[in-house]
Amino acid sequence: MPGAGRARPRLIYKEALVHLLVQSIGFGVAAGAVLALGAVGFTLQFGISNVLNISYGSLMSVGAFLGLFMLGLGLNIWLVMVIGGLAVGACSVVLNRGLITPLVRKGMAPFGLVIVTVSAGIVLEYVIVAVAGPATQTYGNRSGATLNFLGWTLTTAQVVIFAITVVLMLGLHLLLTRTQLGRAMRATSANRTLARSCGIATSRISDIAWFMSGTFCGMAGIALAITIESFDFTLGSIFLIPMIAAAVLGGVGQPYGAMIGGMVVGIVSSVSSAYWDPAYQSVVAFGIIIVMLLVRPRGLFGSATATRKLLA
Amino acid sequence: MANLAYIVVIAAGAYTYGILTLGPDTGNGGFQQYVLGYRLPFFVAVIAAAVAGAVVGVLIGVTGLKRIRQDYQAMVMLVISIMAATVIGAAPSFLGGEPGLSLIPNPFANLSPATGDWAYVAMVAFACVVGYLVMRRFTSGPMGRALRAMRDDEHAAAAMGFSIVKMRLLTQAVGGAFGGVSGALLVAFIGGWSPGAWAYVETLALLTAVIVGGMGNDFGVSLGTFVIAVLLLQGVQFLPQIRSHTGLTEAIGWMTLGILTIAFLWLRPQGVFRERRPRYGQPAVGNAGGGEVAEGHG
Repeated sequence: MPGAGRARPRLIYKEALVHLLVQSIGFGVAAGAVLALGAVGFTLQFGISNVLNISYGSLMSVGAFLGLFMLGLGLNIWLVMVIGGLAVGACSVVLNRGLITPLVRKGMAPFGLVIVTVSAGIVLEYVIVAVAGPATQTYGNRSGATLNFLGWTLTTAQVVIFAITVVLMLGLHLLLTRTQLGRAMRATSANRTLARSCGIATSRISDIAWFMSGTFCGMAGIALAITIESFDFTLGSIFLIPMIAAAVLGGVGQPYGAMIGGMVVGIVSSVSSAYWDPAYQSVVAFGIIIVMLLVRPRGLFGSATATRKLLA
Repeated sequence: MANLAYIVVIAAGAYTYGILTLGPDTGNGGFQQYVLGYRLPFFVAVIAAAVAGAVVGVLIGVTGLKRIRQDYQAMVMLVISIMAATVIGAAPSFLGGEPGLSLIPNPFANLSPATGDWAYVAMVAFACVVGYLVMRRFTSGPMGRALRAMRDDEHAAAAMGFSIVKMRLLTQAVGGAFGGVSGALLVAFIGGWSPGAWAYVETLALLTAVIVGGMGNDFGVSLGTFVIAVLLLQGVQFLPQIRSHTGLTEAIGWMTLGILTIAFLWLRPQGVFRERRPRYGQPAVGNAGGGEVAEGHG
């Protein structure tokens, strides 16, 4: 039968396409977990201290290189992730206390603060170069055994990172909704002046936010270094764009928005790179940022407070 | 406010100059793409670069029209500059991709190298003087007053009947044209251009120049550029090279740049030279800039 001969390869082609789609969604979820981790840290700190911290990407690179150093000492990779996260959290608090808060007190305009954090980020990046050199580094193969489920082929490392992200997000959710500290954080984010006049120590809340943000940042940096084969000191500043896209998509300052935004950006860019040139992967993130800012600057899940904060 | 995507405009000028002067593919090893294959004369290509810069400047300016927070807008600009480099780098068939364009002809190629270099220096110096004079007319005339008003208080300026959108885009176009010419002059001298040459850290170098020199003071900015570009970025090459640390001198240069920016913003935000505010409606006394005060009588 002449017809059957033609139909068969087309079916295979279709199956391959579906398989490609399923597989790329799996990769997207894995990448989205790292993105969500980073984006939540970025957005949490912005929501509470109201400062856009562009040096966040460089702090991420610092985390990755700290991880490299600790791996050299022979520590377990997941222990490295925790210690590295906490260390970057400490760096983040130092950055806030030593640089950002004094400048905010001096009444520096938000735009000036962006330039300061950009400069701080570049200084941090080149501190890494001065200490560890500009060469490309690698953690070695840390992916572990390959796992198959739901038609996805993922590495153990990707699954563990996904699990860590889920646990951290749940923890953050419980912290924000069930504890006194979380309520204080949400109050500070919504209206700093009012929160202070209600007796909340807003500068301490701010410190805590910077610490948590830095911890997420460091952990995301190390998670990223585990999942990609090689990296150099620009690791974080390149990754900053999809992270900003995730944060902007969900509404800057909205932790839940950033979680969903991270997943969406991860999946969309993974799927698009499966069907399109992978070199343009970050273009998707870029497009999301520009469209969101021009059409709906407060993000998909932004509240009226967020709108008031963002519109000049 | 400063345009953090300005390096994109310079890059646009450089690429325009490059593709308009490279000439047709001579089969030179076949390692690069020749997009247009024109071999236009130097000045035509520079003018084209200015136009390209202006167009790209306006396109970038459009994204800044939405009334969002300053820092948010700054972030968008940074993203634009990083993305532009990424996109160009990812497409080898358009502007040479990551390796970029090379063998861009020098207008003085037929002179001896030493004479040619000095001729180039003279031409760039001439271009700087022309640029300074054009900028002076732009900032000291009626247009300059309107722009200053817009910067200081947009609502008040709009109430006086100025179209804020039109003026913003015009500023972007003029700034873009300057950037385009500077890109063209740069690329005609160094002969090659690639995304690595306009990474976003280069924007910081420009910004440091403006901040150190003093925002809103043409002379200060020119001096700042000289100090930053010449002394800092080139000067570090003369530091003793430490063998075990590759890239250390470059790192020191960038770290100094970053620290300098922060230090100036913290301790002396007005820069070395503060903006001289033109005094309107006062008699021309003292040594205030002639053009500005003369306007006061009108």
